[in-house]
Amino acid sequence: MSDAKTERLINLTLALLATKRYLKKAEILTNVAGYEGSQEAKERMFERDKDDLRSLGIEIEVGDLDVFFEDEPGYRIPQKSYELDLPDLTSRELALLSIASSFWNDSVLAPSAQSGIRKLQSLGIPATMDFEFRMKYRFDNPTQLLDQITKAIISRSRINFSYDSTSLKARHLEPYRIVFWNGYWYLIGMDVDRQALRLFKLSRFLGDITVSKKKKEFEIPSNFNVSDYLPKEDVEIIRTAKVNIRKDLGILLRERGKLIKPGEDFDTYELNYENETVFLREIIWHGANVKILEPVELQSQLLNLVGGVLT
Amino acid sequence: MSESALDRTARALDLIPYLLEHQGISIPELAQVFGVSEKQINDDLILIHMCGLPGYTPLELIEMYYEDGYVTVSDPQSLKRPRRMNRSEMTSLLVSLDLLKSLRTDGIAKEIEDLKTKLLNSLSFENPYVVIADAKSPEIVEMLERAITRASALRIVYLSGTKDESSDREILPLEIYQANNHTYLNAWCQRSGADRTFRVDRIQSAEIIEGKVINFKSSITSLEDGDPATELLVSKRARQFIEENRGVISSLEDGTSFRVKLQSIDEEWLIRTIVGFGGEIEVLSPSDLAREVKIRAQEIRALY
Repeated sequence: MSDAKTERLINLTLALLATKRYLKKAEILTNVAGYEGSQEAKERMFERDKDDLRSLGIEIEVGDLDVFFEDEPGYRIPQKSYELDLPDLTSRELALLSIASSFWNDSVLAPSAQSGIRKLQSLGIPATMDFEFRMKYRFDNPTQLLDQITKAIISRSRINFSYDSTSLKARHLEPYRIVFWNGYWYLIGMDVDRQALRLFKLSRFLGDITVSKKKKEFEIPSNFNVSDYLPKEDVEIIRTAKVNIRKDLGILLRERGKLIKPGEDFDTYELNYENETVFLREIIWHGANVKILEPVELQSQLLNLVGGVLT
Repeated sequence: MSESALDRTARALDLIPYLLEHQGISIPELAQVFGVSEKQINDDLILIHMCGLPGYTPLELIEMYYEDGYVTVSDPQSLKRPRRMNRSEMTSLLVSLDLLKSLRTDGIAKEIEDLKTKLLNSLSFENPYVVIADAKSPEIVEMLERAITRASALRIVYLSGTKDESSDREILPLEIYQANNHTYLNAWCQRSGADRTFRVDRIQSAEIIEGKVINFKSSITSLEDGDPATELLVSKRARQFIEENRGVISSLEDGTSFRVKLQSIDEEWLIRTIVGFGGEIEVLSPSDLAREVKIRAQEIRALY
């Protein structure tokens, strides 16, 4: 069944591509292999096949065959619209694209990146690999949502999803852009319930998302610029703490700190930090080998954390 | 489970122009390129073999030969050129290029920008992705990349984040990548006789050992059977722990808090990390680990 249909779709594509003039429906049904059954069944088949090919992105042009028989339209696939046309792509550029597309390993964008590359490799450009760079990205989980979100953005359809957050779980969003920022994937869009632009981390999405069946439900403002909405991390105030580090230990801290006073068992260092939580974790990580001297508030926060483990 | 006729048609239409440019390609290679089984490729080829133009005499059929597992196309009929790229192909290539660009500080970044313009001029699509990243490509990265390409052995001084010590190691670098905003190097480590992952910002120095060949026995696993399963209860406030350690999490259950099972992991590192989350991570098993975490917390408290 699937075989017969595949064969028919290929034959139809070949025929419509080969023809210079428009082919009449009757010609197609008689001459293209695979159309069988009653006249009505054949016509239904043809209508479905046309839709199927169009869903693959193949443009089928409908034109008047003859001015005297204007009631009967004809069909063809214009070569220009069917074929990939990238006349001046160089070997070097093809190599760059191949490297880039290999980032996706097993993630959801891999199939489309790979089929895109296959098409480019079918253009007859000699393949060369003259790059020495090997650095790549490695993504884990959240990428399975990317495909669905992309489609929602393109068709301007709203999405619903659950988000792992302390306040509101169910979210209703007009998705604007997928952002890769600081090593993580985010979705930015208009939160319909809050009527404000919000940024969501994809790794905190819980379960599946649902995409509305409707299209063109919203517009993305033409002056929308993602970077205006990213939290500005770099303006966080840098503070300094004074700590004691046990002799010969805490090498990562010593690396980035400033030695104030060497001592017998402990050396005193000054360390800069931006984010308290992260810094406290780093200090605690060193166990009884690092002690916070100043600021006092940081010291009591540390004791709170440690106390949390003991209760 | 069987694939739709449409997916198959799409692949067949791509297969023919690809074959035309890769004459004499083997079935296994073809299967790999198209990401399907060899049997599937065989079935596809048999099917394509029967397609052609109206008339369907041998002259009008797609003509190809496959002998001893190698395929050649001599007459593709009207399928000489690949199909136009669709939206998802185009967008995934564009975002791939943006990602690649974000990794480079060298002249490549400019080249990529030109390439993107070229692609967008020929095929205009809305790109729903935005990549914002500062390429940080210190000298050491370029050196590691060169060492990977040339399979050169390296001597490195490494500050271990799990042990709080620095060590000299001879390694054969294999793979370099960024994940969660850090740069990592996978390498065969002579000293431990196994693959190891190093954080590049903790490599203090690296030099190529001229003329040295490190042979590594691959597929040695450092996992020991009978390792007691580590199970944690991670509160939502400690979700960062999960985000940063996905690589070692073997199962994750979501609820009012996350129930997490870990693969074999450096215990010392784990203890220190758990204490830092101050009670937001509870050790369910093994009980030794739970006890050790408490002891550490007491030791720290005793400092003050």
